[in-house]
Amino acid sequence: MNDKQENDSIEKPPLKKKIANFFGDVKRKIFKNKPKKEGSLNRNKRNQTIFIVAMLAIPAVHWLIFWLYINIQTIALAFQDVRTSAFTFDNFKQVWTQLTSPVNNSIGIALKNTLKYFGATVLINIPLSLVISFFIYKRIAGYKFFRIMFYLPAIISGLSLVTAYTEFINPNGPLGAIVKFFGGTPNSRSALGRPETATTAILIYFIWTGFTTNVLLFTGGMSRIPVEILEAAKLDGCGPARELTTILFPLIWPTFSTQLIFTMTGLFNSTGPILLFTNGQYETSTLAFWIFSQVYGNGVVGGSGTYNLVSCAGLCFTIAGVPLILLARKLVNKVDAVEY
Amino acid sequence: MEKTRRKKVTEEASILTKRDKGEKIVYAVAFVIFALYAISIIYALLYLMINSFQSAYTYTQNSVMGNANPFALPEVWHFENYAKAATISIRDSQNNEVYLYTMFFNSIWYCGIAVSGQVLMSSFTGYVMAKYKFKAREFIYALVIFSMTIPVVGTSGSMLKLVSDLGIYNTPFYVVAVSLGGLGFNFMIMYGFFKSVSWSYAEAVFLDGGGHFTAFFKVMLPQTKTLVVTLGIVAFITTWNDYMTPLLYIPDFPTVASGLYRIKESATRSGDMPYYFAGLMFSVIPVLAIYIAFSDTIMKNFSFGGLKG
Repeated sequence: MNDKQENDSIEKPPLKKKIANFFGDVKRKIFKNKPKKEGSLNRNKRNQTIFIVAMLAIPAVHWLIFWLYINIQTIALAFQDVRTSAFTFDNFKQVWTQLTSPVNNSIGIALKNTLKYFGATVLINIPLSLVISFFIYKRIAGYKFFRIMFYLPAIISGLSLVTAYTEFINPNGPLGAIVKFFGGTPNSRSALGRPETATTAILIYFIWTGFTTNVLLFTGGMSRIPVEILEAAKLDGCGPARELTTILFPLIWPTFSTQLIFTMTGLFNSTGPILLFTNGQYETSTLAFWIFSQVYGNGVVGGSGTYNLVSCAGLCFTIAGVPLILLARKLVNKVDAVEY
Repeated sequence: MEKTRRKKVTEEASILTKRDKGEKIVYAVAFVIFALYAISIIYALLYLMINSFQSAYTYTQNSVMGNANPFALPEVWHFENYAKAATISIRDSQNNEVYLYTMFFNSIWYCGIAVSGQVLMSSFTGYVMAKYKFKAREFIYALVIFSMTIPVVGTSGSMLKLVSDLGIYNTPFYVVAVSLGGLGFNFMIMYGFFKSVSWSYAEAVFLDGGGHFTAFFKVMLPQTKTLVVTLGIVAFITTWNDYMTPLLYIPDFPTVASGLYRIKESATRSGDMPYYFAGLMFSVIPVLAIYIAFSDTIMKNFSFGGLKG
């Protein structure tokens, strides 16, 4: 009996345990697990949200202040009177006068020169960069060295290159000596000191130093193209010009078009280093330089304070640039990128 | 494995360098033009270097009076010009003298803050936008593309007013504040990079009980080392050579670039150009050294695709 009782008491707990386990499992399955899983999911979700917010908070605040607020304030300043901050259209009138007046046309001169720099980028620098990149990609003798050299103007400070270039084209400098050597007589005044030649002289400098990033990006784009494509073209008797225009160019279209869009975006900001060359004298001013000089004044700490006119001119050119960039984007997106 | 890779590289090289007779002439002409270009850049630097050893008197005689051969080397090499260049100074708005070595110090902290801020913030935004799906993601991406392609002109007046209102004009805090942007060009590159990195690395961290921050800082960010170095160097060089921003927003903290611009103005008047050239050499050497050391890294990693998204 005792033994039986003992056996019963020994056997019972496992049965109880089994039942308890069974119901426990069911209970857990029905009630506990689900809310527990949701809880951990929620916690995961919460942790993820905290992470995303923490990572984006500073750049987002930065964008709100230094992009959105700055642009809104630019629009507001354009409509404000310099002294009273009252609403006015006077800034627009002044911009129009300085753009079109035959006498005081500083914005007009600046716009004309800006378009020249933009034209030089789009019509000379970008196409030439494409050709240069092609030869570097096709491993012309010394291609590694040339790739470094074409990017070098982005490394050496503008001030150094401007100084060297100014010295070089000085009538008593190396260029003058070369002209004399060939029996010519160099003009007694530097090309940078005459209104009729100053902008051209800076434009030449601008082209000379302007291949840098373009070449870097285009060679980067070309290096990702499988060479088998070129081999096939070669078998078809494709020469260098056709190789570049009909094979490589379509293949690097995404890189090229992006660069083109960025160039278009910088249309009214196109400029050479006017401050370093002429400080805007001899009709060399550009819009970017004009804006800088208006805000910088004569270098007085605190700036010159002519923010309203600058903001108004900026607003006008931004508005003029928007349809152009939209059109460019539309045209660029129409061309389908070639998959490879 | 290594053998196959090498074989592939050799095959690629032979395809890229295979040329017929006519092509060889085209390449020879291109080579001559490229060589002339390289010479023009090297000569520009050499000209500055040679004249940085010239005596101020001889330089003036050659350059202003036109009495000598501009290609000639200095008769006496004035190495002391470099010592003198280090003591060239300009005056700040409080009439304190700022020497070239102080400008170097300013350039170092200016670049340090600007570069680390820009690169770190764009790695934050690039990672989150590429790897996490959340409601505002598409909106933020569209906003970035929008703000990058809107041709904004003439905001410097508004910017100067804002930094004056915030009380950070002409202080190092200005540099900190403007460097914390992570939604520009660097973002696009970081975004593209993180898109191609497998998410399984982060999942492994989560399985080990790690959180999102651990996954990013310990596993994902270290993978961008080469890219961070590339973007960092490009940002460093751009910031080191930028003279307009320091002139406009932190005039009393002249960097090497903005300070030398002001030194140039006074050197042109006083005829001390060789000292100014020596100063230019001081400013060029650090960036040139970094560029030569990292040129391969920069060339390989600096690229982007389209803007569609």
